Parts: sequence; structure tokens; C-alpha cells
Amino acid sequence: MEDSIAVNEAVSEEQAVAVEAVPQKKQRKPINQAKLQDNLWGWIFCIPLIIGTVWFVYICLVLAFLLSFTNYNIINGGDMFKYIGEMGQHIMTNPETGASSPFYWYSYAFTNMTQTQYPMNELGAYLFNTVFYMIGIPIGMILSMFFAVCMSRDIKGGNAFRVLYYLPCVASTISIVYTFKLMFSQQGVINGILGLKDFDGGGGFQWINLRGVTDITWNGLIRANGGTPTSESAFMNDPYWCQGMFTKLVIIIMSVWKGLGGTIILYIAGLSGVNAATKEAAQIDGANGWTIFWKVTMPDLYPVIFYNIVTSVIGGMQIYMEPTLFIGEQYITSGYVSLIQVNGIKAGKSSQGAAYGMILAVIIFVLTMFQFWLDSRNKD
Amino acid sequence: MENLENIVEEPVVQEKQEYSSIRYAFGAVLAFFGISSKTHRASKKRAKFVGDVFTYIVLLFGTFLMVYPFWWMIAASFADTTDGATSTQVIREIVWWPTRSTVEGTFSSTHKGGIFWNYQLFFTEGLTVVNGDFTFWRALLNNLIYSIVPVVIGVITSASAAFSFAKINWIGRNAVFYFLLAAIMVPGPSIMTAQYAMYKSLKWQENGLVLIIPGMFGSIMTAFFIRQFLFGLPTSIIEAAKIDGAGYFRIFCGFILPLAMPAIMAQGLLSFMGCWNNYMGSYIMIPDTSNAVNLPHAIAKMDGYGGGGRYANTNYAAVIAGSVVCVIPVMILFACFQKLIIGSLMLTGSKE
Repeated sequence: MEDSIAVNEAVSEEQAVAVEAVPQKKQRKPINQAKLQDNLWGWIFCIPLIIGTVWFVYICLVLAFLLSFTNYNIINGGDMFKYIGEMGQHIMTNPETGASSPFYWYSYAFTNMTQTQYPMNELGAYLFNTVFYMIGIPIGMILSMFFAVCMSRDIKGGNAFRVLYYLPCVASTISIVYTFKLMFSQQGVINGILGLKDFDGGGGFQWINLRGVTDITWNGLIRANGGTPTSESAFMNDPYWCQGMFTKLVIIIMSVWKGLGGTIILYIAGLSGVNAATKEAAQIDGANGWTIFWKVTMPDLYPVIFYNIVTSVIGGMQIYMEPTLFIGEQYITSGYVSLIQVNGIKAGKSSQGAAYGMILAVIIFVLTMFQFWLDSRNKD
Repeated sequence: MENLENIVEEPVVQEKQEYSSIRYAFGAVLAFFGISSKTHRASKKRAKFVGDVFTYIVLLFGTFLMVYPFWWMIAASFADTTDGATSTQVIREIVWWPTRSTVEGTFSSTHKGGIFWNYQLFFTEGLTVVNGDFTFWRALLNNLIYSIVPVVIGVITSASAAFSFAKINWIGRNAVFYFLLAAIMVPGPSIMTAQYAMYKSLKWQENGLVLIIPGMFGSIMTAFFIRQFLFGLPTSIIEAAKIDGAGYFRIFCGFILPLAMPAIMAQGLLSFMGCWNNYMGSYIMIPDTSNAVNLPHAIAKMDGYGGGGRYANTNYAAVIAGSVVCVIPVMILFACFQKLIIGSLMLTGSKE
């Protein structure tokens, strides 16, 4: 990405220099005039974007950072700007000791254990769900690579497939969530295909439930020993990471299904850029299709794959809508953003939400930097 | 020297090797399906044909998986759920078509619905039940305002910024550009609470300005992609226009906007779709009771935000009908402009 920018800029600068060099010899005054015009209009044309970005991103970032040290409450805290203005008086105090502690919410995020029945705190529970949903990223990448290779063959109607596979990407998440919710319901079509309709005494397997209550082991789940099959097994009950497993599975299936088309198009674009001459040379040298794919195509595709991984990890950390629409805000299924939404906006504790937001920003930044570090190591 | 020996020896070795008849037959079968083995060499034409057939089977199966949920959605929206005792059964047991659908007219004699009964319910009373005087037409109007006004103005502001970054030389241009580009590193959810508090003190929430004004300032990603496109345009056009006495504003309106139309249209359509489906923005920023909520938010409200209940308890088919109504406009738009949109996305893929 950055290479192409640099190249483009170099080209445009060269062009600009070449253009300016010609009139410079003849007359002097109009050039200064033109430069003034350039500077003036350059600023005028991009001032709306600058205002928008600074206002809605940078100022908000600073405000969120400042808010996280205060005890601001959105419901009875009054005007936020006024509050920030007299921030010195509103530093967060520790509710137990009464002492002033600006980092209270940050330490709370990492220590508080009372909110969940997990052997971990609230932040850990939500973060675990978020990371769990990222299983979908490699699955989606492999599937879309497979379909992209199929589509980039020289076949008729390749474009039609491209369009059809992209349909889920343009559809509204809400419609898709409701469709999947009903398709995965107890008497739904998926249970019909998998033959799970006789679970739970004829009710059907419950994909979308949070935890089991009865003490039935794996045997119940796989229907051995002639026991009554049920979706409420101890498997879903005991270890925290198993709770709501099937709900999470449905959400992963849905997000992979929804995101497939975009990745396929990205990969097709990458595949069409692979050097055909190298491929042919490899073929003449006797390499088979598999070797050509791994040794010639994959190295050329590497930038596209890297871009895809970076963007999907950033997007995956911000998963919010799918779990929430499937089953509501639950610490068993919801992603990290729910933590911000529930505490910072619904419960009104803006400062706590802002602190969680800052932690999220740091996590995403570190993950992205880690990926770029791996990338730079790979190039050496 | 060694290489030469190998080449000479190889055919001799192959001739000596004898295969069992089973292995020979197996090789023949493989060759018939286009796979070369030691006994038989498959023709290239056959290999390509078999590969194509395999590809088609895989892709058609994938297409079925991609399209089936949409078909299911449409079928469910025609389910007849007027009989309270069996309504949930009817909508959940659909595979291809509901057992009791409004099309067949098998519903009870007491209710007077037609084919589009669920849609009619959704249009007339579905949203009113959850939000007082809030009708479907209000939701649609809201959605149109939220997705047309900010997108049209935002794309033009982005294009003007892109023009400035790509074609005008001014001091600090690159510094400003990278300063703006760094903004995409800031994740939206982490500044959500501060934005919420700010919009609240600006009083933009009840009237829905929160979904209009921020979008009107353009977005840096849109500007970035249009800028990439503008680098491909020759600078000589602008120079020629300048010599003819046109100002920058005139150049922007007369040359850049028409020439960069494909990129601007593609980016505009993509952001239109994003705004049309923007459930999260409305759900987080606009209060429940306000009449400014958009269509996805209103539909989610009918289902009690995923928790079930509200209107969905009585009639889930109307919720699904609403989902179809929400999907149809973007589908039509995508069908009309698929070449432009896919082309723009392909360009993104090859650029990165």
C-alpha cells in the first residue's frame, strides 16, 4: 500500500516539477501568484475533510481519553464540555476508600471479578468471546481462496458467480441475523438436514441457547446408549469456554458466510495480478498445479493476504451487532464492544466506557503493530 | 554428463517396468477423467474439461449456499401465521415454501389478508405497535435521508479533498494527508462514549442529526480511493484548463467531477449501502423512543433487540417481511451497478 503511494507521489512530484520548470525561465511574478493560488485552493478544497476528521475523530479521542479519568455520568452529569472544562474537580474517586484515583476504571477493568460466574473478570470474558469469533477469519480465508481459485479459471459465467457471492455482503446484517436465527431454530431447516429434530424430547436441538442445566454428558449429545438426546448437556454447563458454544458457532458460520464475497473479490484481483509468464515457465519445467500454486501464486498473493489479515483482525476485534442481535447483550456471547455499550452508554457510566475504549484501542494498535512486525521479519 | 545419461536411461527403465492389469485399468480410468499417471497420459483438453466440470459443480453448490438464505427469507415472508396456535411452527418449519402460505389462501376465514398480508402488517401496524405514531413510511423516510444526504455531500467533499491531495501542490500536503490517514487507526467503538456525550450536549440525538452531519464532512477512506484514481488522470488537462484561464473551482466542477465519476459513483454507492444498513449508529446514538430511528433499528425493535418479545412474539413473519423490505433496495441498487462496484473493489484489491 505504502509503496504505491510513494511511487504515485514521486511521479506526481516529478510531473509538477517538470511543469513548473518551463515557465520559471520566462517570467517570475505569475509563478508566485500561481503558488499562492495553489496553497490557497489546496487548503480550501480539503478543509471540510480536515474539520470533519479532527472534530469527529481526534477531538473525540482526546475527550474519551480525558473522560476515562473522571467520574462523568451521562445520565446526571450535565454538559460534557463543561465537565471536561472543570475536570480537576471531577477526578474519579475510589468508591470503597474515597481516595482520588484517576486510574480507577483501568484497574477495575483488570481486577473486578464479581460480574461473571467465570474464573475471569468481565473484560476477560468479553475479550475471550471476541477472540473466539476470530476462528472465522482463517476459515473464511481458506474458503474464499478456494472459491477465488475456482472463479479465476477460464470458465464462462465467472462474473455472474462473483456477483452472486457478493450478495450477502450488501445485505443488511439485521435481515440476515433474523433469517439465520429462524433457520437455526429448534424445528428449523438446519436441524431437519442434520436430523436433530428429535432432541430435547421432540423439541429439536437448541443452537441458540446459553448454557445447559441438566447433568447429561457427551453421550447425550452424540446419542449413544439410547439415552434421550438433549442440547442441555453438562458439556455446555461446566467449563466457562464451553458455555454458549453452539450460539457462537452459529454466529461464526453467519459471519463467514456474510464476509466471503468481499474476500473472494480481493483474492480474484490479487490472482489476476500474478505473473502469468512465471507460471508458464514453471509449467514447462514440469511443476504440477499444486507446486505452482504454493511456489508461484502464493508469494505473489502475499500482500493481498496480509492486507486481508490486518483488516479482518481489526474488524474482528470490533464485532458487536451479530451476537447482540442473536441473543441480546450477554457476557457469554457478546463481543468486547458490548462492554463499552453496556457500561458506557446504557448504564450511563461514560468514564468507564471510555476507559474500556482506550484499552480496546491499545489492544488493536498492539495487534496491528505485531502483524507488521511479523511481516517485516518475513521479508528479511 | 550425468544429465545426459539420465535422459537416455529413463525411457529404458519405463519400458522395463510392468504394471499389473488392475493398475493399468486404474490408469486408464484416471486418464479418462483427465488425470495423468505413469501408465497413461491424459490429453490436455480432457483435463481442462474435467476441471471445468468440477469447478462448475463446486461453484454452483457455493452459489446455492449463498442464495438459499435469501430465498428462505422471501418464503418466510409469505408464511401465513394468523393462526396463533401454529404460527411459530409454520415459520420455523419452512424448507422451500411454508406449509400454510398467504399465496395459497389457506388461512382462516376470519382474517382478510391477501398474498402480501405480512408486508401489509409491517407497513401498517408493525412499527406502530412498538413506537407509538411511528409508521413504516417514517422509517423509510428517515433511512432515505440518512443514506442520501450525508453520502452525496460527503462524497463531494471527499472528492474535493482527493483533488487537492492529488493534483494541487501546496505546502504541507503530505503531512496533512498522513495526519488524516492516521485517523483510520482509531477504532470507532473506543471513542463511542465521548461521541455519545458530545452529541448529547449538542442535542443532535432526538432529531437524528447525529447520522447526518458527521457524514457530510466526508471520509478519509473515500478520499484515499478517489485520490488513487485521480493519480491515473493526466495533469496536462488541468494545466491546459489553467492556461485557458479556469480557476481551481471551475476545474474541479468541470473536469475532475465528470472524469472521476466512476470512482466517485462506486465509492458513493458503497457508502450508501453502508448507511442504509447502519443499524449500529442508530441503535447506539439515537434513543429508543425517538421517531428518528432508522429502518434496521425499527425492525430490531420489533424483535426486542434480539431478546425476542414485543411484536415478534405475536408475528415473526412481519419481522421477516420487514427484513425483506430492508434488503430489496440495496439488492436492486447492487444489481444495477454491480459492474462498477465489483470493478472498484477489484481495483482496491490490486492496489493494496
